[in-house]
Amino acid sequence: MIKLDAERAVHFCDGVTRRDFLHAGAITMLGLTLPDFFALKEFGAVAPEKDINCIQLMLVGGPSQLDTWDMKPAAPDSIRGPYKPIRTNVPGMEISEIFPRMAKHADKFALLRSVYHTGAAVHDTGCQMMQTGRLFQGGLESPNYGCVLNKLKGPRGDVPPNVLIPIPIGQLGGNLPHGDTAGFLGKAYDPFVLNADPSDANFKVPDLLPPGYLASLRVDRRRNWRNAVDESVKYFESSQDARLMDSTFQQAYTLMTSAKARAAFDLAQEPEAVHKKYGMNRFGQGCLLARRLIERDVRFVTVNMFDTVFNEITWDIHGSAPFSPITCYGELIGPMFDNAYSSLLEDLHSSGLLKNTLVLATGEFGRTPKINPAGGRDHWPQCWTVVFAGGGIKGGQVVGSSDDIGSAPKDRPVAPGHVAATVFKALGLPIDLELKTPEGRVVRLVDNGFDPIDELLA
Amino acid sequence: MKERTDRLARFTSITALMLASVAMATWAALPQPQNPAPETPYHKTDPLKPPGPPVAPPLMTTRLPSRPTALVNIRILPASIELVSPRFTQRLVVEGTFVDGHLEDITSKARLYCSDSRIASVDKQAFVHPQSDGRATVTATYAGRQASAPVQVANFTAPFAWSFRNNVLPVMTKAGCNSGPCHGAAAGKNGFKLTLRGFDPETDYLTLTRQANARRTERLEPARSLILLKPTLTLPHKGGQRFPVGSLEYQVISGWIAAGMPPPKPADPLIVSLEVLPREASLLPGAQQQLLITAKFSDGHSEDVTRWAKYSSGDESVATVDDKGLVTMQGTGETPITVWYLSRVTFTRLRIPYPYPAEEAAFRRAPRNNYIDDLILAHLKTLRIRPSQPATDPEFLRRAYLDTAGILPRPRELEEFLKDSSPNKRAQWIDKLMTRPEFVDYWAYKWSDLLLVSSNKLSPEAMWAYYDWIRQSIARNKPWDQFVREIITASGNALENGAANYWVIHRVPIDIAENVSQAFLGINISCAHCHNHPLAKWTQKDYYGMANLFARVRLKMAEPAGFKPGVGPIFRNVTVYTGYTGQYTDDRFSRSLPPKPLEADALPLDSPRNRREYFAEWLTSPENPYFARALVNRVWRNFMGRGLVEPVDDLRNTNPPTNEELLNALVKDFVSHGFDVNHLIRTIVNSATYQTSSEPNRYNALDEKYYSHYLIRRLPAEVLLDALSQVTGIPEKFEGYAPGMRALQLPDTAVEDYFLTAFGRPPREQTRESERTSVPTITQALHVINGDTLNDKLRGPASVVDMLLKLGVADDQVVDYVFVAALSRHPTEHERQALVEDLKNAEASSSTESRRAALEDLVWAVLTSKGFMFNH
Repeated sequence: MIKLDAERAVHFCDGVTRRDFLHAGAITMLGLTLPDFFALKEFGAVAPEKDINCIQLMLVGGPSQLDTWDMKPAAPDSIRGPYKPIRTNVPGMEISEIFPRMAKHADKFALLRSVYHTGAAVHDTGCQMMQTGRLFQGGLESPNYGCVLNKLKGPRGDVPPNVLIPIPIGQLGGNLPHGDTAGFLGKAYDPFVLNADPSDANFKVPDLLPPGYLASLRVDRRRNWRNAVDESVKYFESSQDARLMDSTFQQAYTLMTSAKARAAFDLAQEPEAVHKKYGMNRFGQGCLLARRLIERDVRFVTVNMFDTVFNEITWDIHGSAPFSPITCYGELIGPMFDNAYSSLLEDLHSSGLLKNTLVLATGEFGRTPKINPAGGRDHWPQCWTVVFAGGGIKGGQVVGSSDDIGSAPKDRPVAPGHVAATVFKALGLPIDLELKTPEGRVVRLVDNGFDPIDELLA
Repeated sequence: MKERTDRLARFTSITALMLASVAMATWAALPQPQNPAPETPYHKTDPLKPPGPPVAPPLMTTRLPSRPTALVNIRILPASIELVSPRFTQRLVVEGTFVDGHLEDITSKARLYCSDSRIASVDKQAFVHPQSDGRATVTATYAGRQASAPVQVANFTAPFAWSFRNNVLPVMTKAGCNSGPCHGAAAGKNGFKLTLRGFDPETDYLTLTRQANARRTERLEPARSLILLKPTLTLPHKGGQRFPVGSLEYQVISGWIAAGMPPPKPADPLIVSLEVLPREASLLPGAQQQLLITAKFSDGHSEDVTRWAKYSSGDESVATVDDKGLVTMQGTGETPITVWYLSRVTFTRLRIPYPYPAEEAAFRRAPRNNYIDDLILAHLKTLRIRPSQPATDPEFLRRAYLDTAGILPRPRELEEFLKDSSPNKRAQWIDKLMTRPEFVDYWAYKWSDLLLVSSNKLSPEAMWAYYDWIRQSIARNKPWDQFVREIITASGNALENGAANYWVIHRVPIDIAENVSQAFLGINISCAHCHNHPLAKWTQKDYYGMANLFARVRLKMAEPAGFKPGVGPIFRNVTVYTGYTGQYTDDRFSRSLPPKPLEADALPLDSPRNRREYFAEWLTSPENPYFARALVNRVWRNFMGRGLVEPVDDLRNTNPPTNEELLNALVKDFVSHGFDVNHLIRTIVNSATYQTSSEPNRYNALDEKYYSHYLIRRLPAEVLLDALSQVTGIPEKFEGYAPGMRALQLPDTAVEDYFLTAFGRPPREQTRESERTSVPTITQALHVINGDTLNDKLRGPASVVDMLLKLGVADDQVVDYVFVAALSRHPTEHERQALVEDLKNAEASSSTESRRAALEDLVWAVLTSKGFMFNH
């Protein structure tokens, strides 16, 4: 078991102890010095060669397993739904007709058809569990996968290590957190939030570039003068927040001045055809941006497909207002996902990046097998499908299965903790790593008893 | 309404500009007041000068230089020994006290013997064993010194049986059997489910003796019981070996089974207190100290439970503790060691003083304005952390204005303050500050955070009614107990009685129970929703008993005012009243639990008493150990940057304060002054502790917990935005609010504002201090560098830059003015020269446009500097 706060002192030749060393990592973790991961690597706790990225696609609203990746064509009308299965490029692996492009890439992804959770059947709880591995209880907010990666590995190059596109998930009805922050790790590890719609004609990261009236000469002058004024408060350095402020200004200037960083966010550099291939909508362009970011050293990108389920066409097909009808899958939502996801896999594959980029696509729960009186399906956390691809994943397979009507896992039931263990293992992080909350509570990366789903891993 | 319009009329850009211009004329004449003679090289003689070069934090050595220090005396812990059962033993510790005040556990070096070996014997591990009834004396000798303690043995021949409640369950708890990750989990483990940490002995008894075909306990052949075969790994056990065959743990359980498994009885002695020895101590690095834990029971007997208690260290870099209560000191500092046995918790405070000379004089000389300073200095002295120098007058004024009223002193005010020669001018200015409307703005905002005032769940009219009620309460300095009582018992139309909106926001009894505990007691009971609290004493019964106190609150809703996602329909006109019937029942309990405040008697289910009034009586009573404490801790944190208990929302007894004596004294003072919040504020702001410089000295650079220097912190989002508006002279515009309204005057946090959101304004969705954040982010940095909030204020017509240009102020005076207005200090000679030179170069082309740009850039640099963004 590895602890970020080492249990006992191990002496180095120079008289510094391991304990001091690891503490140093923990204390000065604000992007200024050694991120914990490197301390851990020194410690021999993690394999040095694994440097896997991740793109997590949050399919907000909760896709119906029966109309997407776990179809039951033999079930009665009241269950089956309006869509038909189609063949994929992997014999025996069938998915819904709403994903014709995706069907050509089945060799690259694996379907996990037996995921369930036991929390309340509201959107928020599922979002928490699918982004952190845990339901938030007793005031403990677990960190998002990307925030853990940030804490353990730190930034790479000039870009922030963890980016959230386009904005955090908003109101889903439960008034609970969604697991997209660093939680108990502290705000210093929160994701860099894009705060803009990448499908806007004049999309840009807010405040990334100086306004037109501020020539670069003036930006530099301001920076120098600010440093001059700060000379008088050098003693502030003993405060963590003051050091963090210095570091955020430095990172902001790096983002502004690094051609590579600016290019990462500059969607205009993509050819028109590529934009179109991903779909001219927020999710499609978000996935395109995610690809650019991963290509340019970002470690983790979350793309939220929607930010609410109210008065918007989403996966949340209750069948009545203010929610969505089931037909929207065929007309709008299916193609939206199909184009973005397939393009993402194609591009990452052809650039070779798919090998070290985990692509995770999941909703927060499944939907009722039985079609409701409004012709829709309601919330169903008892069983749904999660799609894994890329970094360390063995594609072209189905793991786990559901019963005849997709209402419960039939074999290999998988809880959110297992998904988290699989994600962390794919990312090369030890799942028994112990993190500490500010109150000193020790929390494992993944709770005891949840092992990775090894069949999924290559 | 009138008051509100008046508020809005203030601080238009014109008045801001006028004020600034008045200041312009006089700033140059700022006097340089005399300060007392320097005491150390770190003293600053010029109050308007920034601190000198930074003091490098000292290199911390982990070991005190080994210098001989004389032994003063030795003593035996505990001071007297009582063994009231043939099976009880008492562990002893021999403690040496040294001339420099440190203690050493010298048990292994001392010789221990008993005056009468027929009564009791002492073994090599310093355990006293009873031999027969009677009295004797145990004596310890070491280095020519001697100490003794009386021993009394009783009931030696009386029949003995291990108690299920007081022996068997503690063994299982200590072995971890009923912990959260093991069989104490809500779903149990592998079909075997115990109650968490043995909170329900009756249920556990049935589980152990009846379930699983009674195979867990074999009365006739105890060794074949599963509860012995599994934990000893005689049979495979996923939890591994918990104790070996033949251990004392094994003997307790097998002895209890062999005795016929006596069940827990209501007449069993119950634990009444838990004591730890030593109660506090200064120790040497690397030292080992055995703790001794004594439990006292309702029948008057006490037991040495050192072996069965659970231990945890608050800060393992200071001290670690093993499961036998043996502490090993690691590094300098202080930490509580928390001890848990049955339902009781206690703690000891152990420290390694910093390796500095004791220097009594430094503490004697430090200024003391009231009891806070005595208690802080006494504590710092034990740690040998010397406090920083007093803050200078300008430092004090800026800090006090920001922390007390959320505003910066204007140049004119700073000048007046410096000119004021009255000896107690700081106290007078604090009083003056507390009469200002901005003081009311600030605290109304603060308590609105606590009470979740926002349009999230309220119509705009209802939100204003709630806010105005809070505001008026603060303006009148309503005592805190009365303020809270009025909320808890509020009824009537919520537009007329604003306090009633609390019940519109919180409607479900369990939500109310959680929120009242969190907001007014600083206690998080939400764990007990599903299981007994793992870190505090709250049980599910406490939780659902609390919930039932609120089962009779009724709302009459009229005039729909829209629909909020996740909330439902909002009504403008809501009336809160109390029903005569109604119980809260949860699925977990088939019946309703009698309504019961956390630590008061339950009301009978059929009692006609108004339950909210009954609850309010307990909640706001001076005897309530949490109520005043929670408020005092919140107010202390506002000024000192860190609660005496941190986090302030977590006052459980396993989370002890850093200075218990001080917290108790503040609470006592607050309660005896009739819950007067302003008195509390005044006491804190007037203390020398609050008025200490933020610049660390060579002795306290590493301290962030004990208030040896003022802890710097980034200004809260609203204060920062208002400060930017004040200095630039350009107020922020909030959609739907009158021009000139300051951020701290907003009743709502749902008002769209990119700056406020980016800088960590709380959404007011849950009562939790951590909803607000002052952590710097890249988004914030990008926004002040490139964003429109600050840039627009600099470019705006009638901004401070405009004014400086129009008045034709010379460059050196520009630099001076901007520093005084924003940083409340003059630039140093070096800063002035360098910046004036830079300005001159920048303006070399001599066109007005480039001068304007240069001035904008200068003001930007000052307003984004850490000296501005932080309170210090």
